[in-house]
Amino acid sequence: MKAALGIVALLVGVTGCVLGVTTLLLGIRRHDARLLHLGRQFVFVVLFAAIVATGAMEWALLAHDFSLRYVAENGSRGTPTLFTITGLWASLEGSILLWLLILGGYLAAVARKFRSRAHDPIVAWATIVGLAVAAFFFLLTLGPANPFHVLSSVPADGRGPNPLLQNHPLMAFHPPMLYLGYVGFTVPFMFGIAALITGRFGEGWLADTRRATLVAWGFLTVGIILGAWWSYEVLGWGGYWAWDPVENASLLPWLTGTAFIHSVIVQERRGMLRVWNLSLVIATFCLTILGTFLTRSGIINSVHAFSVSSIGPWLLTFLGIVAAVGIGLVAWRGDRLRSPGRIDSVLSREAAFLANNLLFTGLAFVVLLGTVFPLIAEALRNRQLSVGEPYFDRMTTPLGLLLLFFMAVAPALPWRAVSGDVLRRRLIVPAWVGGAGLVLAVVAGVRGISPVVAIGLASFAFAAIVRQFAVGVRARMRSNAERPPRALVRMVRANPRLYGGLVVHVGVVLVALVLACSSTAGVKREVRLVKGQSVTVSGYRLTYIGASSSRSAQRSTVSARVRISHGGRDLGTYAPAVSSYPNAMTGIGTPSVRTGLVEDVYLTIVSLPNARGRVTIAVLVNPMVLWLWIGGGVMALGTLIALVPGGRPGRRRAVLADDATPEAAGTPVEVPV
Amino acid sequence: MKGISTRWIAIGVAIVVAVFAIVLATQVSTDPRAAANRSNLVGRPAPKFDLPAFDGTRVRLAERAGKTVVVNFWNSWCIPCRQEEGALRAFQREHARDASVDLVGIVRDDSTSTAGAYAKSHSLNWTIASDPGSSVAVKFGTRGQPETYVIGPSGVIVAAHYGPLTVAELDALVARSQGVQ
Amino acid sequence: MRKWIPWVLLAVVAIATITVAAWPSGGKQSASARAHGLAAELRCVDCESLSVADSSTVSARAIRADIAQRIRHGESDVDIRAYYVGQYGESILLKPASSGIGAFVWILPVLVLGAGAGGLVVALRRWQRTPRLRASDEDRALVERERELDA
Repeated sequence: MKAALGIVALLVGVTGCVLGVTTLLLGIRRHDARLLHLGRQFVFVVLFAAIVATGAMEWALLAHDFSLRYVAENGSRGTPTLFTITGLWASLEGSILLWLLILGGYLAAVARKFRSRAHDPIVAWATIVGLAVAAFFFLLTLGPANPFHVLSSVPADGRGPNPLLQNHPLMAFHPPMLYLGYVGFTVPFMFGIAALITGRFGEGWLADTRRATLVAWGFLTVGIILGAWWSYEVLGWGGYWAWDPVENASLLPWLTGTAFIHSVIVQERRGMLRVWNLSLVIATFCLTILGTFLTRSGIINSVHAFSVSSIGPWLLTFLGIVAAVGIGLVAWRGDRLRSPGRIDSVLSREAAFLANNLLFTGLAFVVLLGTVFPLIAEALRNRQLSVGEPYFDRMTTPLGLLLLFFMAVAPALPWRAVSGDVLRRRLIVPAWVGGAGLVLAVVAGVRGISPVVAIGLASFAFAAIVRQFAVGVRARMRSNAERPPRALVRMVRANPRLYGGLVVHVGVVLVALVLACSSTAGVKREVRLVKGQSVTVSGYRLTYIGASSSRSAQRSTVSARVRISHGGRDLGTYAPAVSSYPNAMTGIGTPSVRTGLVEDVYLTIVSLPNARGRVTIAVLVNPMVLWLWIGGGVMALGTLIALVPGGRPGRRRAVLADDATPEAAGTPVEVPV
Repeated sequence: MKGISTRWIAIGVAIVVAVFAIVLATQVSTDPRAAANRSNLVGRPAPKFDLPAFDGTRVRLAERAGKTVVVNFWNSWCIPCRQEEGALRAFQREHARDASVDLVGIVRDDSTSTAGAYAKSHSLNWTIASDPGSSVAVKFGTRGQPETYVIGPSGVIVAAHYGPLTVAELDALVARSQGVQ
Repeated sequence: MRKWIPWVLLAVVAIATITVAAWPSGGKQSASARAHGLAAELRCVDCESLSVADSSTVSARAIRADIAQRIRHGESDVDIRAYYVGQYGESILLKPASSGIGAFVWILPVLVLGAGAGGLVVALRRWQRTPRLRASDEDRALVERERELDA
C-alpha cells in the first residue's frame, strides 16, 4: 500500500511537471496571463507529490515494511529510530526522493516569491526550466532508481543501513545540508536560462535570485564542513579531507559557486561580465549533476562507493542535454549580451574580483582534472593511474595562497579606481600584521614555505578585514555620534552584504590557517599498552585503564578506556572503540578525540586487547583542528548576516534600460550617496 | 568588447565538453575495480614464503617445487571468501590424491586465532598458514581477499584472480598451469 | 621615495623569514622522514583514496614496515617506488608519473591558468585603450531626478 502510494505520488509529480511546462509554454506563446497563473500552480502539485512520496518512504521505513526492497536494504528492526529516519538518504533511490523534496521546496518558494510577477515571461521560463529538471528526477525514480520496488518474497528483517551510516548523529545533517546546497543552485540556473531565452539579460535575474544563490552557497559550505567533520570524527583515519572523488564532487560546484557570488557583484555594479556570469551559473548547475554522476554511477572508486546502478547513462545524458542547451543559448544570444562596461584600472575591486574568478575557476579545473584523470588515462591509453592528495595539495596550494592575498587586498580597493598612494596607506598596517604573522610562525617552529606564507597572508587578510570594520565604525561614530557597539550594528545593518561577506572571509582565514598548520607536523604514534600502563606522546600522558564492552540489539562494542593528562592536569577519559554490526563482518572503528584549543589528541584502536590484555592504540596529535569547525561556523554566520534584508537607503540604481531590448541597455548609471 | 566572438568561444567550449562527455560515456560501462585488480605478477617467479601453518608445521613454497601450487588469500569475515568456501572444499576433495597439485591458504587481514577457529569449525581441511606482519600478502601484491594465485611447476605465477572462484574456474587455471590447454 | 620605505622594509623581513622557513633543516632527511614521505606517495591498496601513511589497514602497515626495511637496506627512493609499481601497477602512485599521458595532469592546469591570466591581461589592456563613456546631460538630469526622489 505504501509502495502504491509512493508510485502514485511520483506519477502525479511527473504529470504535474509535464502539465505545468505545457501550460506555461502555451501561456507564453499566447501571452495569456491566466494560463501563466495556472501553470504556476503545478509547482505546488509537484511539491505535494514529492512530500507524499517522501512521506510514504519514511512511513515504510518506520513501519519496517520489508516488502519494499529499499527498506529491506536500508532498514532493520534493530536500527535505532534516528537512523531509520535517516535511512531515507542512506542510498541512491531514497536520496533522489530527498532531492525531489528539496527541489519541490525551492520551486514552491520561488513561485510564491514571484506570484505577483507570474505573468512575466522570465518567471514563466524559469519555472519551466525548474519543472523540467524536476521531471528528470521523477523519471529517474520511475525508471532506474525506483525506491518503491516491491520484493516478491518479503524477508523477515532488513539488512539495515551501512554501519558507517548509523554510528553518528551527523548522518542526520550532512547529506540534507549538501542537498540543500546542490539543489539550491538550480534556482539561479533557472533564471539564467530564462534570461537567455527571453533576451532580458540585464541585472534583473541576478537581483531576483541573489538570496537563493547565497542560501544555496551557505548550505553547501556547511554541508562540506560537516562532511569534513564526519571524516574526522567518524571514519577514524585521523584526517578531515582525503581528496576522495566524492569529496571533490561536492567541492566543484562550491568553487564555481563562490566565483559566481563574487562576479555577480561586479555585474550588479558595473553591468559587466554578463556572458561570464551566465556561463558560470550554467557550469555550477552542470557540476552539481556531474557530481551526482561521479558519486552514483560507480565510475570512480571511492570511499563513498555506493552500489553500482544503471543510473550512470541517464545522468550523463541529462548532463549532456543541459550543457548543450546552455552552450547553445549562450552561443545564440552571445554577442548581444556583451555590455559596454569596462574596467578602469587594475587597482580596483572589479579587477580583484576578476582575479578571484580566475583563481576559483582555476581551482575548479584542477580539482575536476585530477578527479576524472584516471578515467581519461584509462579511456585514451588504457593505463591505470591514480591521482591523490600529493597532486591536489601541490596544485591547489599556490592558488589558495594567491586567493588569500586577494582576499586581503580587495576590501581596501574601492570600485573603479584608486591611486597607489591611497592603497598603500590603507594596506600598510595590515601588511605589517601579516609580516608579524610570518615572523611569529617561524619563531613558533613552523617550517616550509607554504605553511609560513599561508600564515602570513592569513594574518594580513584578517587585519585588513578588521581595518575595514574599524574604519566603518569610526566614520559612523564621527558622523552620527554613536557609541561603537551601536555604530557597529547600524553599520552592518546598513550594508549587510558587505559586512556579512567580510565575516565569511574571517571564517575562510581561519580555515586557511588550519590547512596551513595541518601540513606541518602532527604527531603519529602507535602504542602497545597493558592495563595500567602509561606512555607519553607529545607532552600528553596516556594511561590505559582497561577495556569494556557493551552490547545492544544492533551492535556489540569493545572500547579501550584511556586517561589523558597534560602537565599534571587530568584531561579526562577517552574511549576509542570497535563495534561489530550483524550485517558487516569487519569491525567498525570509532575514534575518540580530545578536542583542545591548540591541538587534538586523537585515539583509535589498532588491535583489540589480546589474550594478555595488551591493546594497540594509535595516537595522533593534530594541531588546530577545532578552528576548522569554528571557521565553518563563522562562514555560516557571515552568510546569515549577508542575508539580512535591507541595505543602504538611496543605493537604488537608476538603471536606464534593464528589461528593454538589448540595444537600449546602456551602462547602468549609479546614484551615489 | 570586441575580440573573439562569443560564438567561437562557445563552440570551443562545446567541443571540450563533448570530448569529456564521450570519455565519460566510454567508461560508464566498465568496472573500475576489474582493471585495477589485474595482478602485475603473472609471468613472474612467485615470491618465496616460509610461514607457520595452523597445524604447527611450516609451509614453504620451496618444498613444493615441481608441483602446481594454488595459493588462496582469505580470512574469516569477508563475504566473498565464504562464497568461495564450497568451491575450495570441492577442489580439495577432487585433488586430494593428486600429488602434483597443492592447495595452500594464507590468512590476510585477520587475527590468527579467529581465522584458526573459523577454519576448524568450518572444516577447511587443507594447509592454511598465517602471515605474521602481512609481509607475504605484500610480496604477492594482494589488494584484498579472496585472491588466488596459481603457481606453475617451474615456480612462475601462471594466473592470478581477484574475487571468489568456482571449481570449474580453478580447474581451468590448474590445467593451464600444467600446460594442457 | 620615502613612502616606499616601510614596504621595502616589510619585503626584507618577509623574504628573510620565508628563507629561514624554507631552509632545508640540516643534512639528509632522517630515515623515518623518508619512510613517511614515501608512504604518503603510495595509495593504500584496500582503501580508495587514502595514502599508505594515513591508512591503518593491515596491508598499509605491512607496506610501511616493508618500506622501513628497504630504507635500512640502503635502497633509494626511486628503487622503492619502482618496486611497488612493479608489484601493484602504476595506480599505486598517488602522484602520476610525468611520463606519457601522466604529464597532462601537471601541464594542463598551468596552461589553462596561463591562458586565463593572459586573457585577462589582454582584456585589461583593451579596456584601458577604449575611450571612456561620458555621461550626457540627459543622464545627469535623470540622476538629479532620482536624487530628489530619495531625499
